[in-house]
Amino acid sequence: MAMIEVSNLTKRYRDRVAIDQLNFTVEAGEILGFLGPNGAGKSTTMKILTGFLPPSEGRAKVAGFDVFEQPIEAKKRIGYLPETPPLYPEMTVKGYLQFVGRLKDIPNKQLDTEVERVAAATGVTPELGRLIQALSKGYRQRVGIAQAMLGSPALMILDEPTEGLDPRQRNEILTMIKGLAGKQTIVLSTHILSEVKAIAQKVLVIHRGKIAAHDSIEKLTAGGSLEETFIRLTSA
Amino acid sequence: MRTILAIARKDLSIHFTTPLAWVVFTGMSFLSAIFFLGSLQQFKQVQDMARALTWGRLGEGAAMFKNLTDGVAVPTFQTLLIITLFAVPFLSMGLFAQEKRQKTLELLLTLPVTPWQLVLGKYLAAVGIVGSALGLTIIYPVILAIFGSSESGAALEWSTVGLAYGGLLLFAVSCMSVGMFISSLTDSQILAAILTFAVLMGWLALALFSQFTEVQALKDFTHYASFTTQLENLMKGVLDPKAIVFFLSIIGLNLLFTQRAVEAQRWT
Repeated sequence: MAMIEVSNLTKRYRDRVAIDQLNFTVEAGEILGFLGPNGAGKSTTMKILTGFLPPSEGRAKVAGFDVFEQPIEAKKRIGYLPETPPLYPEMTVKGYLQFVGRLKDIPNKQLDTEVERVAAATGVTPELGRLIQALSKGYRQRVGIAQAMLGSPALMILDEPTEGLDPRQRNEILTMIKGLAGKQTIVLSTHILSEVKAIAQKVLVIHRGKIAAHDSIEKLTAGGSLEETFIRLTSA
Repeated sequence: MRTILAIARKDLSIHFTTPLAWVVFTGMSFLSAIFFLGSLQQFKQVQDMARALTWGRLGEGAAMFKNLTDGVAVPTFQTLLIITLFAVPFLSMGLFAQEKRQKTLELLLTLPVTPWQLVLGKYLAAVGIVGSALGLTIIYPVILAIFGSSESGAALEWSTVGLAYGGLLLFAVSCMSVGMFISSLTDSQILAAILTFAVLMGWLALALFSQFTEVQALKDFTHYASFTTQLENLMKGVLDPKAIVFFLSIIGLNLLFTQRAVEAQRWT
């Protein structure tokens, strides 16, 4: 079953085309590495998939629900970590996660258990009582990932989730994401190709708003390393 | 409803952790206390004069000082209207502008929350913020009721006090709806505060404008749209359904505009 169905997706900002006629599907349970140079259209695509931006043309469906015609149903199935973790510095980590949990309609009885689960998975349990403004960049990133995980959404869209983390933290988060394969669909946008190689099953490369490649890691790296393939695809 | 309450609760909890909120609260309390004491002083002076000269010799203007309700409580509320005008820009400026600046609006708009739920949750918080700021001032009529007295028995006419206080709250929550709408248009809290202040001052100036303009249609309109006109009856203790509808319409329109502004956010 396709978790994401994108057809003829186009986004224009006045005279600039950010993404142009994208067509792709992502199967349920798949981990997709979403790659592209800066300004290629990755963030725009993710913002459209999460319902934050409307497309200029085309459609996007999540779990069979059109993101713009049935936005609430689609959003119930999405956990999203934007490029900048969307945090409230004045809240405690626990208060923040409870707030997001309530907006995700997690029942009150399960809320504390769910907050504890995602806190443990992202390693922020010792920080639950601290104010977010007192956290380091790495912990803020973890809290951002934790909010995306709340409610175990069918689809997680993570925009550079390991940004700001040290190598050990990166490894922990990547292992955790890899552990979700098969249970949740993950779209992982990153500039670190080794991360994609380590956990993704498929890679979607976008360049100048168009799809440059969409295939399995094995096929894409058949003619060389992922770095070489990426440079070749995005140097045109 | 749970979503709306969660948003309101979040905004209230954040608001009361900011120093600005307490500065505004302290400022409002301090200024209102000064004006309350000033009204009391004036009331006492007029009462002393009336005892020495009789009410008849003091003229009609002194009649309001015959009782604490008209002589102290209502003038205090009228002063609070002006204080509210100055406080609202600071209380409302962060409602949406702060969410935009710290990129949390993106979170709210990608969660299963409708723009209306977001706007209503924010507005509920706004009502709570301004309500708690003005709620402190209920102590003034309570002080008058406990320590005051009148020839008729009860120190205060509670129906008049209740309607005047209700009018003040209605005005304050209307101003907050204006401030919330303006906050939804920018990511700069300072700009939101300045624009809100300008709009509210414009609203205040309508009463003056209606006195000076000679164009009858404009005079009628500005007189009607002025909040001082609309609050006139409520401040006298007269229930005025037209005034209530007027302020509710302002709130409704601003909620609608804010919802549209949030929707439009995605199209920019």
